[in-house]
Amino acid sequence: MTAMFRAVLYTQWKWSRLIVVLGTLAAFAIPLLSLQGAARADRGALQAQDLLRSVQSWGSLYPLLATALGLLMAIAAWAPDHRGRHIHALTLPLPRWEYVLLRFGAGFVLLAAPIAAVAIGALLASLSATIPPGLQAYPIALAVRFTFAVFVAYAVFFAVSAGTARTAGIILGVIAAIILVQVVAGIANIDLNLFGAAQTVLVLGPGPLAVFTGRWMLVDV
Amino acid sequence: MTDAIHIERLQYRVGNAFEIKDLDLHVPAGSIYGFLGPNGSGKTTTIRLVLGLLRPLGGRITVLGSPMPEHHAKVLARVGYVPEQPHLDVTLTVRELIDFQAAFYPRWDRGRAEELVERFELDGARLFGRLSKGQKAKLMILLALAQCGDLLVLDEPTDGLDPVVRRDILSALVTYVSERGATIFISSHLVHELERVCDWVAVMDDGRLITESPMEKLKHGTKRLVVSGAPAEIGTPPFRMLSRESSNGAGESWVVGDWEPAMTSYIENLGGSVHDVIDLDLEDGFVELLRSFRKVRQ
Amino acid sequence: MSRILALVCAAALVASPLRGQDSLMVRLRTRADSLLSTWREAQRLADVADSLERVRATAGSDTIAVGALRIIANPSPLPLREAAARAWPAIDSLYGSAAEDLVQHPYIIRAVDPDSGVRRAVLHVGVELPWDLDMRATTRVLLTTVTPPRFDIGLGDWLGATLRPTLRPGDEQTAVYLQLVTVPSAAVRGCFLGDIARCKDVLQLGDSTGLLGRWYVTPAEREALVSGVFGDYFARGGTAPSLQKCRQHRDDACTALLQSLPPGSLPRLLATAARLSLVREALRAGGQEAYSRLVAHPEASIDTRLASAAAMDIDSLVARWRNGVLAARPVSLALPWWAGIAAIGWTAFFGFCALRSSRWRL
Repeated sequence: MTAMFRAVLYTQWKWSRLIVVLGTLAAFAIPLLSLQGAARADRGALQAQDLLRSVQSWGSLYPLLATALGLLMAIAAWAPDHRGRHIHALTLPLPRWEYVLLRFGAGFVLLAAPIAAVAIGALLASLSATIPPGLQAYPIALAVRFTFAVFVAYAVFFAVSAGTARTAGIILGVIAAIILVQVVAGIANIDLNLFGAAQTVLVLGPGPLAVFTGRWMLVDV
Repeated sequence: MTDAIHIERLQYRVGNAFEIKDLDLHVPAGSIYGFLGPNGSGKTTTIRLVLGLLRPLGGRITVLGSPMPEHHAKVLARVGYVPEQPHLDVTLTVRELIDFQAAFYPRWDRGRAEELVERFELDGARLFGRLSKGQKAKLMILLALAQCGDLLVLDEPTDGLDPVVRRDILSALVTYVSERGATIFISSHLVHELERVCDWVAVMDDGRLITESPMEKLKHGTKRLVVSGAPAEIGTPPFRMLSRESSNGAGESWVVGDWEPAMTSYIENLGGSVHDVIDLDLEDGFVELLRSFRKVRQ
Repeated sequence: MSRILALVCAAALVASPLRGQDSLMVRLRTRADSLLSTWREAQRLADVADSLERVRATAGSDTIAVGALRIIANPSPLPLREAAARAWPAIDSLYGSAAEDLVQHPYIIRAVDPDSGVRRAVLHVGVELPWDLDMRATTRVLLTTVTPPRFDIGLGDWLGATLRPTLRPGDEQTAVYLQLVTVPSAAVRGCFLGDIARCKDVLQLGDSTGLLGRWYVTPAEREALVSGVFGDYFARGGTAPSLQKCRQHRDDACTALLQSLPPGSLPRLLATAARLSLVREALRAGGQEAYSRLVAHPEASIDTRLASAAAMDIDSLVARWRNGVLAARPVSLALPWWAGIAAIGWTAFFGFCALRSSRWRL
């Protein structure tokens, strides 16, 4: 199994190395760029608000990067097999779910690089910056949140990518049905908010997208 | 003799257009088994059912003693497969594909793989996508052979290849069989190619098996007879009547299968006489078999 | 003789405008007196109208009494008694013994059916509420519309708001904490770092002269203030060149512009929540009579009144307030414990979906 995993990891690395390298660079750069103003000596009381504003605006890039990494890695994991109609994968001598698991796990291993880059970049940025009194750096919390976001994004897109066209069709069909029902309800003047309900389920509380919401702040109060 | 592949009453359907119905197939272990049929006859579908890529609607498939598709992981470890279309990743090099494959097969023979790389003159650093058609076919054969499986399943492995490449591939297959005693199941519509290497042959058309027999029996048992004076009804002959046509007033031309010389007496007993017995090659016999089968189905 | 006549004529000529001025003054005085009496009459009529309205509004209504709270309302599903029971402790703890005065200032509430389209008479006195409000919302209404007893204008001006109870003082202090940390002012930062004198400055306690230098300590702050808040104001007319100089980091230009502003124009460094929380701290420290002491002498300075209410010197009160604010620091940014578990759970779930896709199932 170790040899199989290494083989799968190698091929997946070959398919996604550009994504991993660029993603790692971006993940390392974002924390440093967000605190670039604070790397200079304390600019006085004006700094706190400027710093928070800068950190908040750069902070919106973390969930975007996490989503992009998850999506691209999931596509890269399956694109060659899709091209070959999965015949090679299906004729390998191991239970199929094990093969999928190997691909799944290889993706996580490769995603460790950008995750580590966020952690290292955030630590470096917070150590080198002059943070005004009352504010605090949260490099580890940021890296942990990023980790969870990347994992969830990768898992979601991996599941879609590993599935059949019929599965994708079903998902799209459900979305289309929700939109249709909402439109019809609107026309019939029925008070129905499916989008709000969907948002509540997906984004709030323990929904799958909850980890993407909230404040992605390297420095905060 | 045990069968490497044993299929009983196999049922499969693809929509309303195509159906495999009551297919029985027995591939003896250690044989080179040719699976003949025109395009669209169901050869590739049957192979996919054998390998567990598709799930049959009915019937039983046993490969190397294990039922399929239930034990597909165990069985596929002993089966080398070369599909009709190249199925490998075009972004990997020859060397990388070999290494990838080696990781999954416990019986992988690195020495054999290296030897075949030399023999097939493959460049290890070249991307699969940049290989010629023949080189791709050679690489796929290499991967199947280096697995050291007990069964090789080859779906039209030489289709579209030049004669030199075809010869190289067939030669490697024959060498493999002689060294390992493995079973080869090879499908093709190139009749004359199978004629040279196979010792068993089955003919399939429109999802049905027309015939399955040793190659020699099919080849030598298919004859064209020039017959005169035979009655219209000939009862239940010991040979297989494939076609019967009148021949410009000089009697009739019969194409028969499973012919043996002693069967002349059967015709003579009916009042007819056999003027000539003409050998047909496998291709002619194959065509007559198909024609006869399709006429019956109509 | 002719000289005397000329003098007399000159005197007569000069006196006539003076005589005109006298009559103008008299006319103006008469006019002012007339207006004053008209205004007094209008006040009296307004009071009468108010009292008539009050009678009309309360006709047919019940009176709910909880503590010193009096609520006059028409019968309805509105949970007024329960809300009053919830609001009264907060009101009592804020106003202390002075809360007894609230008997004189009853709530007048008209509860209405929110789904009804029937036209209603306009309500001039009291508050109209839909009767489907829950208890939380009704309590909030009572708290936000209570009339602070003996609340004077001076205190209101300094506070920037009316002193009313809150059910969540912690949120107020958290907001103040955020201000202390993020407001771009060296003076506020000094307060955060423990300089009580700075705290008193930014809270506008004590001497109100020289606020510019005490509030906007650094040239960068003054420039930011001129460019940001007053940029448009100074961009026109004679101040435009000075604005340009100020933007070229000339602090003397910036200072001159700010000093030219009318008194009271400088924006306060801390929002209302800071002063409100200080008053609440003083009342908390001073006990039951604290509010009474706070409003007892409206003519006294704010710091004196607060010290009197808290029964301690102003520096100690401000220090206590600052400690309370620092203790109300918002929760840190870390993910809640369940978020990580949820993320791992969803990852595993979607991974399982991938494993069980029909493509991989036999």
